[in-house]
Amino acid sequence: MTDDASVVRARAAQVLEADALLTSSTIEERARWLAEAASAVAHKAHDRRDALAEATGLSVPMIEWATRTTLGTITEDAMLALARDTSMEIGRASEPISMLSMVLAGNVFTASVRGIVVPLLFGIPVLVKTSSRETMFPSMLRDALRLADSGLGAAMSLVAFPGGDIECEAALIESAEAVSVYGSDETLAAISSRAPDTRLIAHGHGVSVAYCGASALDDANIGNTIDGVSLDICAYDQRGCLSPQIVYVQETPQCSAADFAARLATEGLGPRSRSLPRGPLPMAVGAAQAQWRGMAEVEGALLRGDTYAVAIREAVPIRWSPAYRNVTVAAVRDIDEAIEAMLPIGTNLKCVGANSASISEIETRLGSSAALHAYACAIGSMQTPPLDAPADGYPIWHGLFRA
Amino acid sequence: MTTRAELKARVEALITSFEAGRPFDAAARDELIEDLATWQARRIPEYGRLQRRGVWPPALPTDVFRFRRIAAHPEERDLRTFRSSGTTCSERSVHLYCDLGLYDFAARVAARHMLFPDLDRMRLVILAPHEDEARDSSLEYMLARFAEWFATQCTWVWQRGALDLERLTEQLRSAEASGEPVAVLGTSFAFVHAEDGLGDRRFELPPGSRIMQTGGYKGRSREVDSEVLLTAIGARYGIAAPRIIDEFGATELSSQMYSTTLREELDGSVGPRRLWVPPWVRATPVDPDTLEPVDGDTVGILRIDDTANLDSVCCIQTADLARRLHDGIVVLGRAPGAIPRGCSLAADQALGEQ
Repeated sequence: MTDDASVVRARAAQVLEADALLTSSTIEERARWLAEAASAVAHKAHDRRDALAEATGLSVPMIEWATRTTLGTITEDAMLALARDTSMEIGRASEPISMLSMVLAGNVFTASVRGIVVPLLFGIPVLVKTSSRETMFPSMLRDALRLADSGLGAAMSLVAFPGGDIECEAALIESAEAVSVYGSDETLAAISSRAPDTRLIAHGHGVSVAYCGASALDDANIGNTIDGVSLDICAYDQRGCLSPQIVYVQETPQCSAADFAARLATEGLGPRSRSLPRGPLPMAVGAAQAQWRGMAEVEGALLRGDTYAVAIREAVPIRWSPAYRNVTVAAVRDIDEAIEAMLPIGTNLKCVGANSASISEIETRLGSSAALHAYACAIGSMQTPPLDAPADGYPIWHGLFRA
Repeated sequence: MTTRAELKARVEALITSFEAGRPFDAAARDELIEDLATWQARRIPEYGRLQRRGVWPPALPTDVFRFRRIAAHPEERDLRTFRSSGTTCSERSVHLYCDLGLYDFAARVAARHMLFPDLDRMRLVILAPHEDEARDSSLEYMLARFAEWFATQCTWVWQRGALDLERLTEQLRSAEASGEPVAVLGTSFAFVHAEDGLGDRRFELPPGSRIMQTGGYKGRSREVDSEVLLTAIGARYGIAAPRIIDEFGATELSSQMYSTTLREELDGSVGPRRLWVPPWVRATPVDPDTLEPVDGDTVGILRIDDTANLDSVCCIQTADLARRLHDGIVVLGRAPGAIPRGCSLAADQALGEQ
């Protein structure tokens, strides 16, 4: 499916027209409809899990896990809580923008959910350009919204066209008061240059890391730590910006980074590769994987499984992995050294997963860092952010209200 | 214990045997690869650390040449340093030589067999910088040797960082007028620059002429599909497709592979366009997870075992995709666009080298 500029303009006009109907509803009504739609999508995604697996390159069990955990966050209570908190933060007088256009990336197929649900909750129509690789899931969401309420459904529409189509990109942006872009730095720059006066909500390249403090490695906790870290790595085959690429480990006399890596491989990633198998490895990623794994052997050590690998190496320099379950374990003395190692990542660092005893300290360090905008969360939940989790250093409603 | 001199002699014997037209002995080549790997693993710590996963001996990823010194000899014996031209990453591959004897021998024999099998010497026009302008380029080094070995006269038409279109035109018109065959050798991006700059100037190069193009674009010109460029070059210079020969080389290698097309035309045989692998080289598409050879014509990542890499590492894991075709190899390039880049991937490019 490819739309031309006239179709993009027509859909933009349609969602703008739906604005009156959308804003005539209450936020409580919209929260209810959105929760109903999320529930319907969950059922539909289950029915079409094979097709979604084919479309996304993820395994069927991963599709099931991803839809369940993502759509499970779209509850009436969570949305009303978000509305209350937002209202307190920005003041009731702030007006929502008239329309949001959105450019989706294809690496994490459920990333569209929060991006679409939140503006609709606040009464903002949304026009979505889907990834050229994956249109199925956003289409399911659109259909479910229409079934939940016709007015709500009319306020969200989809378009598809190749990235870089100047006319279509202009048509996507021209009616919108803000444009939210998930994608590469090149995509962000291209969209920004097309509409310099339109507010850009940028979700560019990002990576995440995990930190395991000493207490995470003691006998009482190591099992849960390994379980959580391996889930964070395997979710979406490590393709998301919330996927940890590096696990910083505060070594103890009882557990070295190498010990941790060995247990991560055998007790974490190995079993996970059976319960949540990796999808097919794209050959171009495979080429990068062979390079990364070889470098890891040269510079440190590498533990290989059938569909994963753990590199044990120094925290610096960072050697970015090609994802797809290739992760680095690096020993650090303490949180200070871990934060120091993260600094070069700068604003590209999206999330730091940490063991429960370390979260507050990590939050404090991140909060006081001018270079890092990441948020902290618990290990095991990096890939399941709640509805109100920040995005790119900002609240989830950032850019959706007039100043 | 095996010595360097013994190994060098065995590599030379392998190449000499081919040059003399003697039957190819795959077992001898494979044994030599293993012996080279054993010798190199003892001398190059980075190589010695590679796990023996997949086919033995292990292949060193080309990325390692970007970050580590890979040489079996000490720094004070460095004779020549070749560096890659660089793509998206700031670090460039570095290949160090203390002796260019095997490089020269392998390059001469391969080019003689595939590029100049029918003419002892001929006129060369080179769309690349002279060796003196690019001392660290293995391609420019090789082209300079071609000038010595194969040229009646040689003209470099890429000077001070730009293609001299007038000089190129003058050289090709001169060849047309004299009827003397000419070999035009250059990088793919140089041929694209020529396409962009020559306008409606077209040539009918004399019979016996040929073109050799090599390398990717690396951001130095617009990118053109290889089939489209092949057609454009043929039309521009009046050269039939079999006489447009692709060369595959890399900074990390000492040997080159060439399209089979010219050789097949001269032999009167017909086959699909593919790369000939010199018999002292082993080229194998491998599975990215297991690093084992893939079956049949399945696409894999290209591993090259180049026995002429005596003083670095013989077994190299490239990042290129390739598949077997008949008795040769088709290199499909790196397909960077196939990597999902929406968010966290391609972080190397996104974040720069740390």
